[in-house]
Amino acid sequence: MNQLALLVALPLITAFLLPVINRVSTFAARWTGPLVLVITSAIGISFWPQLGDSAVAIELGGFRPPLGITLYADKMALLFALATSIGTLLLWPSRGEDKLRQSTLALILAGSGSGLALSGDLFNIYVFYELVAVVSYGLIAARSTAGSFAATVRYLIVSSFGAALALTGIALVYQATGTLNLAQLSQLAPTHLNNLQGLAAFVLMLIGFGVKAELFPVNTWVPEVYATAPTRISGLLAGVVSKLALLIIVRLLVLIFHQPEALTVMLVLGILGVVTGELAAWRARDFNRMIAFSSIGQLGIMFIAFSIPGEAGVFAGLAVALHHLVVKPAMFLLAERWQGSLANLAGAARTSPLGAALFILLALSLIGVPPLPGFWAKLLVMINLVAQENSLYMLGAWVIMGGAALEANYLFRVASSFYHRTDEQTPPAAHRPGDLATASLLGAGLVASAFLIMPLADEIEGVASQAADKNHYVQTVNPEQLP
Amino acid sequence: MTPLDQLLALSALTVVAVWLIGNRQITGWNATILYAAQGVLLVMMAGLGYGDVQSIASSVTFQVLGHGLHWLFDGLSWFFALITIGAALLSSWFASGEWGQRYRAAGGSLRLFHTALALNVFSMLVLLASGDLLSLFIGWELVSWASFLIMALGGATATRYAMRYVTYAFTGAMAVLMALVMVYTQSGSFEFQAFKDAVPTMSAGSLWLIVLLFAAGFGVKMALIPFHLWQAKAYAETPGPGAAFLGAISSRMGLFALVVVLVQLIGVARLADLQLVFPFFSARDLLTWVAVLTLIFATFTALKQHDARRLLAWHGIGQGGYMLLGVLIADDLGSAGGLMHVFNHATYQAVLFMAVTAVIHRTGTSDLNKLGGLVTRMPLSFVAMLIGIIGLAGLPPMNGFVSKWLIYRSLIIDGSPLLFLASVIGTLGTILSVYKLIHNTFLGQLRLEHVEVEEAPSSMIWPMMILSAVVFITGYFPGLVLDWVASAQAAVGLPELVHTLGGVPSDKGGLDMIWVVSVMLIGFGIGALIFFAGGRSKRVHQLDNYAGGHFLTAETRYQYSDNFYPGLMHLIGPWYRKSFRWLERGFISTVDTLSQVMQGLYRAVHPSFYLLVVVVSALSWVVIK
Amino acid sequence: MLDTGLVLYSAAFGLILIGIAGIVLSAHLVRIIFGVALLEAGANLLLLLATWREGASAPIIVAGRVPEFMADPVPQALVLTAIVIGVGILALALSLALRVQRAYGTLDMHEVRQRMEQEIADQAGIDMPASSHAPAAVQAARQEGSA
Repeated sequence: MNQLALLVALPLITAFLLPVINRVSTFAARWTGPLVLVITSAIGISFWPQLGDSAVAIELGGFRPPLGITLYADKMALLFALATSIGTLLLWPSRGEDKLRQSTLALILAGSGSGLALSGDLFNIYVFYELVAVVSYGLIAARSTAGSFAATVRYLIVSSFGAALALTGIALVYQATGTLNLAQLSQLAPTHLNNLQGLAAFVLMLIGFGVKAELFPVNTWVPEVYATAPTRISGLLAGVVSKLALLIIVRLLVLIFHQPEALTVMLVLGILGVVTGELAAWRARDFNRMIAFSSIGQLGIMFIAFSIPGEAGVFAGLAVALHHLVVKPAMFLLAERWQGSLANLAGAARTSPLGAALFILLALSLIGVPPLPGFWAKLLVMINLVAQENSLYMLGAWVIMGGAALEANYLFRVASSFYHRTDEQTPPAAHRPGDLATASLLGAGLVASAFLIMPLADEIEGVASQAADKNHYVQTVNPEQLP
Repeated sequence: MTPLDQLLALSALTVVAVWLIGNRQITGWNATILYAAQGVLLVMMAGLGYGDVQSIASSVTFQVLGHGLHWLFDGLSWFFALITIGAALLSSWFASGEWGQRYRAAGGSLRLFHTALALNVFSMLVLLASGDLLSLFIGWELVSWASFLIMALGGATATRYAMRYVTYAFTGAMAVLMALVMVYTQSGSFEFQAFKDAVPTMSAGSLWLIVLLFAAGFGVKMALIPFHLWQAKAYAETPGPGAAFLGAISSRMGLFALVVVLVQLIGVARLADLQLVFPFFSARDLLTWVAVLTLIFATFTALKQHDARRLLAWHGIGQGGYMLLGVLIADDLGSAGGLMHVFNHATYQAVLFMAVTAVIHRTGTSDLNKLGGLVTRMPLSFVAMLIGIIGLAGLPPMNGFVSKWLIYRSLIIDGSPLLFLASVIGTLGTILSVYKLIHNTFLGQLRLEHVEVEEAPSSMIWPMMILSAVVFITGYFPGLVLDWVASAQAAVGLPELVHTLGGVPSDKGGLDMIWVVSVMLIGFGIGALIFFAGGRSKRVHQLDNYAGGHFLTAETRYQYSDNFYPGLMHLIGPWYRKSFRWLERGFISTVDTLSQVMQGLYRAVHPSFYLLVVVVSALSWVVIK
Repeated sequence: MLDTGLVLYSAAFGLILIGIAGIVLSAHLVRIIFGVALLEAGANLLLLLATWREGASAPIIVAGRVPEFMADPVPQALVLTAIVIGVGILALALSLALRVQRAYGTLDMHEVRQRMEQEIADQAGIDMPASSHAPAAVQAARQEGSA
């Protein structure tokens, strides 16, 4: 049971030991990081069947909540903790001068990301969130170009602003209830937080944590950062970290804040995210920023999906999130060689046919073409949106459809330019085999899940229903009553 | 394994086989044989076509996310599948042999071409076999993307037009998805029967929206007004036999989907009941007028074209209007006319595209202002085009006449004089335009550079002659096709047409093509006898002539080709205002501007300001609430 | 005398507001960072105030005697953590500002953003975003300005 804590602790400890190991042997230092991540992924995967129907709560240090910190592992949390480990492993920073520093930061990212997914205490979440933030500042600036410093400092400002607002929100919550343990807050929410103060706290925390989740309007950092950071780090941020931040917000919604106004705020911001993201991507002229804007749009769809009340919303949002988790890192891996102007990509299919084919596969799944899994996720969202019979949700459905149409156009504009070359231009260089192999792995996973869509859908539905079950959470954590 | 499973499996096998065989000459022949095999399998399901069997289901079903997916063929599907496989067979035959050699030498990949064609056929069969709304959508998406693949093969220009298609098609697909989800919300399931049962209880507003979304989404493929701008150029740039296939059947997939959704599920009666505030305008009226306007606009745009392929592509768009019109009249005559027109149009559109491709193959150009007089050099191609043109214009003895007669008759019986007048105007435009096509290509003066041109190779002649024979024979004995049409009508819920081998019997003046064509043949026969055997005619060279005291020389152009109908153009020329192009450009311009605005949003100096604004507004909204 | 609670709460919210004003209104990077520092200070103070009660004593057990009326110790520990995080981020922010200053020679956010945008565009090989409808003369002038 307690091995789950290793998912958090092991990468953190290794990160701090890495410079020491480096003194002894550079070779060992290079491979320790991936090895540790393999171990943590194995622990996580071995834990999955043990979860079964009920979740697991770990009391750190043996102190019962609310005095102690709990780690709560239901299927959704474990899924995202696993995604963090495996994602960091697949997107391990392997390029650049300062590999040791990047490795250290990546390990801390893996550890604190897992902590973020598994944590059961609001302040613990805040600490891990800030940890992930600081580490990502370091990773983004890894190229040491002036542009990356400027992008990092702008990201820092917005992120710190958001974090301070989130802290204010946490302060309001504590002021109303006297506890920060999620299970206990869940018990106290109907009486203490079902008022103006609670809603204000939610808004502040939504926008605070939403910075990482690329929520409109705090997502202005996205295009700059994805254009200046190393592409693997961008993939990690877009694919994994954003989902972790989203996970926190979903937990807050499911457990604590049940007011319909909370959902409405999320819905409106999600709609604005889709509209601005997809429209901005239409005229993007470089590859990195095009997929950055597409990422904003997709996360907007996730926010719209999670704003659907009840278990259906969690299921729909989870489906879109998991799909995006696979597709976006693959696209960023392809971006490694395809950075730069879209016009320069003409004829890329000649030098990198597999890459071009992969891009088309990913694009088809992103816009939602059957039988790829992206279609099923989108169908789920649409059905649940229209079923609400509320004009704002209908607007969300229309916006998603319009966004998909725009996305099809700009993605396939690029894809068709791969196959036609004017003779003056030289096509871009071929992808490195490492990048291509990882991207192909993700693409193969996508195709496999298209074939296995039936059992996969049932499994994800199980995950979602467990995650949406507030009472199960409270019972599992079983906090002491406060006087 | 049911016959339907066998057919779909063979079709999938064709795709794989063609891909594996690769970029070789033999690919085309293999593909043709495999299509013939598919045709045999289809013929074994002919019970569907004659009303003996109601439906043949597939044994493959899925249950995803709680929705069931299943596939089945009924009379309507069988009818469309026959056209699909026939068109694919003949196009593939056409593409084997010399055309394939030339294509490969010019850098094209036969593997890609034939795989794209096979993929189109497979996806169309899957669409035709759909048994519920979700499988309909899946088939629809597969067909859309397969069409994109075959359109994009022609080079950079073709890809550009194919991209335009993708924009239209995917937006349409999203409209269809929206409509599907709305139907699901109202009926609780994606099954056809659930939709049909829920229709009477649906409110007028939601049903209007659903009808408009379905019509827009499926109408994009059919190139109905105002979504027609992409089709002509995209089809014209597709490699030759691909264009023949697309023109024959690809747009009709939209008609199939519309027939299933609007006629079979919602019912034309309900469409007629859906009335706007202004009581004379119902959904059915809207759609019939869209069909007729498509006919008129497209046909008169074709009149102005001087590229033969674009001309034919525009005609393809226009004739789709006829089909929709016929189907929406929904009585036995009109719907039979509309459905039969699908078959007829496929035959002569294919033969015309093939003839034009043969001309391009031999002369290198399809520009009508650069051709002429090829009848002496390519007589069989001329015959094929002549038969095709008579069919397209809808004149006896070809099959086009029958379907048009049926539609005209039903329009008069239905009491829609304006629609009748509009469709007659459309036919007028067609006749004028196709005459220009054949005159500028085959008649008139032979150019010096084309003096050595040979007849098209046999791999091209055979399919063209087969299609011409089909056009003539089904014109002579329309009952052959009307059998299939009647069972398709029965499958959809329309009244079946009572017919004979020769046509339609009626007390008030029916149609008996056997009599008509026989009389024509006898008349022509007597004339031909006198002409050829009478011994009074003499063969003379075209330039063995003089005018105005001068002998004619080969270098001088006496061919009258450009600005073919100056009088007519003088009358209606000002009406060509390219308004739809302006509309499209305006729309794109708006999206461009909005996109720039959004990009500007993301380049702000103080992003924290947005954060503040949103937080303050959210908090104040929360407080006020 | 003023109500202590009112003073404390207005101090907390005041710090937050001043911090926000600093971040949103300043053009100079260091001032923005100061604004962040003030904002965090205000947020920390607010969290601390959640525990404050009139007349409570510090939550420390002295010589075995448990005070009856204690301030809540839990958020005080949390605030310590938050202060440390804030300090770390402040240090990181200032070092980044130093790097930006060295690279661009300026700390004016308008300049910095412009230069960053230019650098991204140059690296990608595209032009700076300009209006597609700008007249040709203006576009030519822009081309020359950036060349």
